[in-house]
Formats: sequence, C-alpha cells, structure tokens
Amino acid sequence: MSASLPLNLLSLLLLPLLLSGWIQRVKALWSGRKGPPLLQPFHDLARLLRKVPVYSSTTTPLFRIGPWFLLATTLGSAALVPLSGARSLASFPFDFVWFAYAWGLGRVCLMLAALDTGSPFEGMGSAREALFSMLLEPVLFLVAAALCLKSGAHSFDAALRELGGAWLLRLCAVLALAIVLQVESARMPVDDPSTHLELTMVHEVMVLDHSGPDLAVVQLASALKLFIGSSLIATLLNPWAASGGLAAVGAQLLLSFAVATGVGTVESLIARLRLRLVPSYIALALGASSVALLLGAWGALQAP
Amino acid sequence: MSLSLFLLAIPLLALGAVLALVSRSNRASAAVALATQAGAIGLVLAGAGRCLLGGGVLESVWPWPPPINAIAFRVDGLGAFFLAWSLPLTWLGTLYAIGYLRPYFAQGRHGGSHFALLNLIALSFVLVYSVQNALVFLLGWEIAAVAAWLLVIWDYRSQKIRFAGFNYLVSTHVGLFVLVAAFMLLHSKTGSMDFAAFAAFLARPSPTRGTVFLLLGAAFALKSAFFPFHSWLPRAHAAAPAHVSALMSGVIHKAGLFGFLRFTLLMGRPEEWMGWTVLAFGAVSAFSGVLYTSTQRDLKRLLGYSSTENVGIAAMGFGLGYLGWCWGNASLALIGFAAGLLHVFHHAIFKCLSFYAAGAVYQAAHTVDLERLGGLARRLPRTAALFLLGSLAGSALPPLNGLVSEFILYTGLLSGQAPAPEGNVVLVIGAAALAFVGGVSALSTARAFGVAFLGNQRDASLQVGAEAPASMLVPMLCHALLVVVGGLFPQLAIGLGRGSLALFPFALEGNLDVSLAPVGALATASRLLAAALLVLGFVSWWKGRAARRSVTWGCGYTAATARMQYTGSSFSEQLARIFEPYMPVSRRERLPAELFPHSPGQIATHHADAVERRIYEVVARGEDAIVNFSARIPAHSRFAFAAGLFALIVLGALASGGWL
Repeated sequence: MSASLPLNLLSLLLLPLLLSGWIQRVKALWSGRKGPPLLQPFHDLARLLRKVPVYSSTTTPLFRIGPWFLLATTLGSAALVPLSGARSLASFPFDFVWFAYAWGLGRVCLMLAALDTGSPFEGMGSAREALFSMLLEPVLFLVAAALCLKSGAHSFDAALRELGGAWLLRLCAVLALAIVLQVESARMPVDDPSTHLELTMVHEVMVLDHSGPDLAVVQLASALKLFIGSSLIATLLNPWAASGGLAAVGAQLLLSFAVATGVGTVESLIARLRLRLVPSYIALALGASSVALLLGAWGALQAP
Repeated sequence: MSLSLFLLAIPLLALGAVLALVSRSNRASAAVALATQAGAIGLVLAGAGRCLLGGGVLESVWPWPPPINAIAFRVDGLGAFFLAWSLPLTWLGTLYAIGYLRPYFAQGRHGGSHFALLNLIALSFVLVYSVQNALVFLLGWEIAAVAAWLLVIWDYRSQKIRFAGFNYLVSTHVGLFVLVAAFMLLHSKTGSMDFAAFAAFLARPSPTRGTVFLLLGAAFALKSAFFPFHSWLPRAHAAAPAHVSALMSGVIHKAGLFGFLRFTLLMGRPEEWMGWTVLAFGAVSAFSGVLYTSTQRDLKRLLGYSSTENVGIAAMGFGLGYLGWCWGNASLALIGFAAGLLHVFHHAIFKCLSFYAAGAVYQAAHTVDLERLGGLARRLPRTAALFLLGSLAGSALPPLNGLVSEFILYTGLLSGQAPAPEGNVVLVIGAAALAFVGGVSALSTARAFGVAFLGNQRDASLQVGAEAPASMLVPMLCHALLVVVGGLFPQLAIGLGRGSLALFPFALEGNLDVSLAPVGALATASRLLAAALLVLGFVSWWKGRAARRSVTWGCGYTAATARMQYTGSSFSEQLARIFEPYMPVSRRERLPAELFPHSPGQIATHHADAVERRIYEVVARGEDAIVNFSARIPAHSRFAFAAGLFALIVLGALASGGWL
C-alpha cells in the first residue's frame, strides 16, 4: 500500500494538534462560548518553541531531557499504530509490548523530571501518575492479547486488520481503550487539564516548572498520545479498516474527530472523579478488557 | 585434557584463598585474589569455551575413597553458560571490594579473609556448575552458603548485622535440609549419589518423582529467594557490604535456578502440573517482590526485594518452557527457557550495577535511607547516572537489556499456542501480571531514584562525601556497558545461551532463530529509539543553552523547605493503601491530645514483611487460635458442621489420591 506511508506521516504531523484544537472548540461550544480558532494549538506551539526556557537551580540535566525523551518515545510508539486506516508506519510481531514499554520509558522520564524540581506538588503529581498508569498497564496487554487470539496475528496493525466481525469484542476493547485514553492523556474524569488548583491535578502539576520549548514538547506529546489512543479506537470502530482505500481513510478521519468530540463532551458534562475513585474507574477498564480477552480466546475457536 | 585444564581452576582458587588469607597487606590480598580469579577465568574459558558455543561436553570420572567411590565431572552448555558470567562478575565484585572496603582498611581492618572468601565463592561456582555427584554438589553448595554468610557479617560489630547474618544462615540451612531430603529420597530409590543414576530413575513419572520435584523446587526456591521463602533476603542485603549484596543477589543465588535447570535436564519431559506450578509460583514471586519494592525506605532492601521479583520472572519463563515441552510445542519451550536463561543473565548485570551504585551512595553519605537522602545527583552525578541506568534496565524499559528477556517471555505468553482456550487465557493473565509488575517496577524506580537523587537533601545533618574511587567506578562502568550492549545487541546474549538450550531434547525439533525472530525486530526498534533519544537529547541541550536559572515554582508559596518534598512513603502511600492486606503496616502513634497539647505528637509507620509477620504470628499465637477454635466447636453447631465437613473433604481427597 504505497499511499499509506505519506498519509500516516501527514496525519502524524497535522492531526494531533488539530484534534486538541477540536476538543477545545467542542468544550467552548458546550459552555456557550465561541472558542479559540482550530489552529490555536499550532500557534501556541510555535510561540513556546521560540521562547528561552527557565530552569530551577535545584534541577539537573534530567529535568531538561525528560520532556524530549517523552516526545521521542511517543513518536516511536506512534509509528506502530495504524493512524490513517489499515496500515501503520512500521510493525513487527508483538510490537504492542514494545509500545507499552516505550510509553513507560517516557512516563518515567517525565516523572523524574518532575521530581527533579524538589517541588512537593510535582512529587504529588508524579506519584499519582505512577499509580494510575501502573494500574492501567495490564489493560493494554489484555486488549492486545484478545485481538491477537481472535485474529491469529501478532502485531497491532495485522491484528486490527484481520480481526473480522467480532463486534462485541470490538466494543469491549473500545470501552477499555477509551479509559486508557482518558488516563494516559490526562482527561476528564480522571484528570482535569484546565483546572487551576494544583492539588487536584495529576498530569499538569508534573509540568509546572517546564517552560518554553520544554513545555511545548510536553504539550505536543500529550496531543500525540491522545491522537494515538483515538486512532486505535477509530480503527476498531472503522468497518472499512481492513480494506484500505479512500473509504477507510475518510471513515478513520471522521471517527477520530468523533472520538475527540466524545472526549470534549465528557469533559464538559462530567465532573472529575475523586482521586480515590480513580482506581475503581480503572478497574472498569480491567473488567472490560478481561471480557474482551474471554471473547477473543473462545471466539478464536469459531473463527473460519 | 581440556577438562583437567578446567578443574585446575579449583586448586588455583584454593591457593589464592590461602595466600590472600596469609598475606600481610590488604593490597597483596586483593592482588592475589584478583590474579587467581583471573587465572581461573582463563582456565575455565579455555576448558569449557567449546561447550559454551554449543559444541560438545567435557566428561570424566575420578575414583575416590568411599563413601563417594567416584566423582563424575561433566561440563555442558548449561554449566558453561553460568560459569561464563558468574566468574567474571565475581572478579568485578572483588575489584569493587577494594574501593568499598578502603575506609575499613584505613582503620586497620585486615581484609585477607574477605578476599579469601570471595575466592571460595568463585571456587564453589566451578564445583557446583560442573560436578555430577550429589555429595560433592552439596559440598560446593555449602561452601557458597557459609562463605556468603561470613561475607555478609563483615561489619560484625553491629548486633543488627550479626542478626541478619544468623537469619540468613538458618534460612539457607533449612533449604539445605530440604535438598538433602530430596537427595536421600533419590538415593533410596537408586542406591547411588550419581546424577546419571538419578536421571534413569527420574525419567519415568511416579509419585516419588513428584515429591522429589516439590522438595527440590522448595530448596532451590529458598536459595534464590522466591516468595514466600524470601524473608531472609531483605535483611541480609541491607546488612551486607554492597558488593556482597550484589554478588549474592546477582550471581550466588542464581545457583538455585541452575539447580532447577540441571534437575529439569535430568528429569526429562515434565508433567503439565509441574509447568503450571512453576509458572504460577514465578508469577506470585514477581508480583509480591515488586509490590514490596514500592514501600521500602532502605535502598538496599528495596533492591533485595527486586531480586525476588526478577527470579520470579525467570521462573515464569521456565514454567512456560515446561508447558511448551509437555504440549510438544518445541518453539514455545525454546521461547520459555530462552526467556528464563536470558533473564537470569540480564538480572545479574543490572542488579549488580544498582547495588554497586547504592554502595557508592553509602560510602558517600553513610546511609541508604531514602527519607534522609535527596539531591544526590548534583553531588554524585556519575553514581546517579549509573544507578538510573541499572534501575531503568530493572524496570525493563527500552532500550536496555532488561526488556529483551521480558519481551521474549511476552512473545511466548501471548502467542496463543496453548492447546485449549483456558490455557491461553491463563497465559495471557500471566502476561498481564507481568505488565503489572513492570508498572510497579517503573513506579519503584521513579520513587527510589527520584527521592534519593533528585530534589533537595531531606536531612540537613547528612554530610555527603565525594564520588566513588576508580576501583568502584570501573566495575560499575563495565556493568553499565553490558546493560546498554545487551539491550541494543540482544543476539550476543542469546548466543551465550545457545549451548544450554541445545541440551534440551526438544531443541532438535525447533529452531531457536525462528522462535526468537521477533527479538531481531525489537533490537532494531530499540536502536532506532536510542538514536532518537540521542538526537532529541541534543536538541534539548541546544534549546536550553541560553536558559536562565531561577527557583522552583512554589505555587505561590515562597517559604518551601526540603522537608516539604514528597517523601518515599508519601510517594507510594496510595499504592500501599490499595494493597494493604498484602503489605501490612505497623503504626506507632501518639496523637496530640486536647486543644492545646502539652507534648508534641508523633507517628511512625513501618511496612512489615507479610510472610515474616505471619510466621511469627503463627509461631507465637497459632496454638491459642487453634485452642480457641476447637473450644468453640461443641458450643456452636456451625463450627462443628464446618469442622466435620473439612475432615470429610480431607479424607475424601486422601482416599481418591490412593493414599489410604
């Protein structure tokens, strides 16, 4: 499929920030405002990249490197996910294991950068991030294993392509991945990206001290994670994903925006969960992915 | 010829031990130990190099006076694999000891016995990994145990350290008794102490074989500190000098896993329940070990619990290998055993690195208590970088070596090759447990490194000294190099394990390179990631070169102090609360009373080891509990009914098992 490479690259460049802009627009519409222009995140990014950063004298080089390592790992993992329909940029057997651990590396780098400042708030943020992501870690594996067992393939894009019908399995996987998406990209009801009270934050409080290009990179990585998650969900819901072609790309694009609309809507209508309840919310994802696993394991028997 | 060359290492190491003991100066002792160990490495590699690379076996039988009659030696791929890294890592540990013990030497302590014991450890490796006679095997086993005990109590003037040493000594001998019991059982069936005779008996499934399997499993699990046989380990690791902790955790206690594999080879094709048992046992060990790492405040205790986690991961690999073997799936069996073997090797490398760096912290700050440390990365940047590298590898993060073996294990667990869907579901749950272990391990790494090395120093009274001397730095750098190379070029380590895997009968049916093909892609991905990290790291430096310096943003509060930082306990508080039944907390508190309290309140919390605590509870109060329970049976019909039902079930189980 010759068209998939440029298409994937193009969507990797444009869509993450466009989706963030879209979410902001959706939230603005729900609250009766007009909202910023759709391209505002691009302007923000350009503005931040031009600035000169400020570093706390407590910090070590780790603080500077952290956000950039996060970006590197997120970009690396984006290459493994089908971003615009059927194909991903690269794939190899069991690439989802590598995907999960690459995200892990990025997360650890950001947590360490936060702890590097010696700020009690940032320590709090990284402790929460570590806990939630740890509880979430098995979900991705259960979902991926369910897809693999059902399809008999072993990589993200092959498993998604050869999944066949299995709509119940797909729905369970989508539910689990939607929660993964909310936790990983710091969205409601797990985290409130727009609050101004540091005590209630998870992800944002970790980057309080980052400024200029470093902050730009963190925001870009967050947008990328959101885009990766919504692409996975969109591919699962896309009935033409296996066929490739124009229908697949169009449906993928529409579904990505639909997922972003959903994220924005949830954020506008639902309050943030109490932090103690977040583990239970994650347990919901665990339940959904376990059901997906059972469906996948026994569904494989009936596969033609 | 080459076997005699190999066995020459034993007298050489013994000679080195004697010379190290009698030399006047510490410098001479160290030099003798290093020289003889280097000589032994040369002899062993010259003798057994061929076995390592997959060709051939060295065998010979020595006549010996009764009751041993004959000692058979046999060096094959498995023994050669363990020796190939055990001896060099012990050499590096001996080098590290020179720098680490320098403050003691400066006070006039004589280190000859310490270096002699390190030589004896190396000697026990040569013996245990090559001998084919149960009595001589036990002798080597015992040399390692006693030498390790004496090494642990180097600082014997402290009562705490003597207690930890004694605790270790008792535990390791409990393991020895179980091992002796297993060998006696085998001797009673075969009339011989020779492994070859054991193999003939073990080849056929029988109840005795199952019993021997469980006994040996328990003995080896105690040696390798599997959960729930681990309670001696955190104490011993916290008490021992850093290089001894490193060698014990990374190298010496791998003998347990070696014993397990050697026994597996003798036994031949296992039964399916054995595979599930090993897999579940490993998973429980990994899960428990990693949970305990998250609440420790002693850096070396934390690393000790992490060994329990990692041997658990290796055992999961072996369990998977057992299952693949039972199912006649050569590829799955190869994947399982390769994952286990590589993880044993990789763990030795990154765990020693972490322990060495923790030792450098101890030497500089005279404590490894997380709640007192902080901001060490600015004072000890090299130690910080090395510790970080070791613990990132321990969390299996790319592009380092820990991921390689865990990735191989995942490819087996997630391959969907079990004959029934139930089997597949259980294997996938094993993979999910492994993912959870990885997540907790990442939390622990961020916590340990972040609290000890980043931020500001929590205890102002702490005087932090200088970086470690060269003799400590060189071993750390060697390990760091291996951690990176192992991650970027995993084929090298797989090459080392090739000879061992070829010993298994199923190896003929499978193709290792085909089974491990995904590792090649993993290596490419890791190399690309490493390149991306380098490039973006450079961009980060470039973008920040004109940066201004300021203070940490205090969210509007301007009088923040170092004591307000998140501590190690607060970092893992929520996690500890979720798993509270698993990780009991003992609290001592005196809360301030009245509106205007006269005396200040205080609170102390301590995360106890559940196993240790429960054992003491059972020993101390178990009788009372049983007496209480049985006293209630006649009074309450419910209890009587339950007790009767229990007795019936036990009798039924015994009868159906053919035991009555």
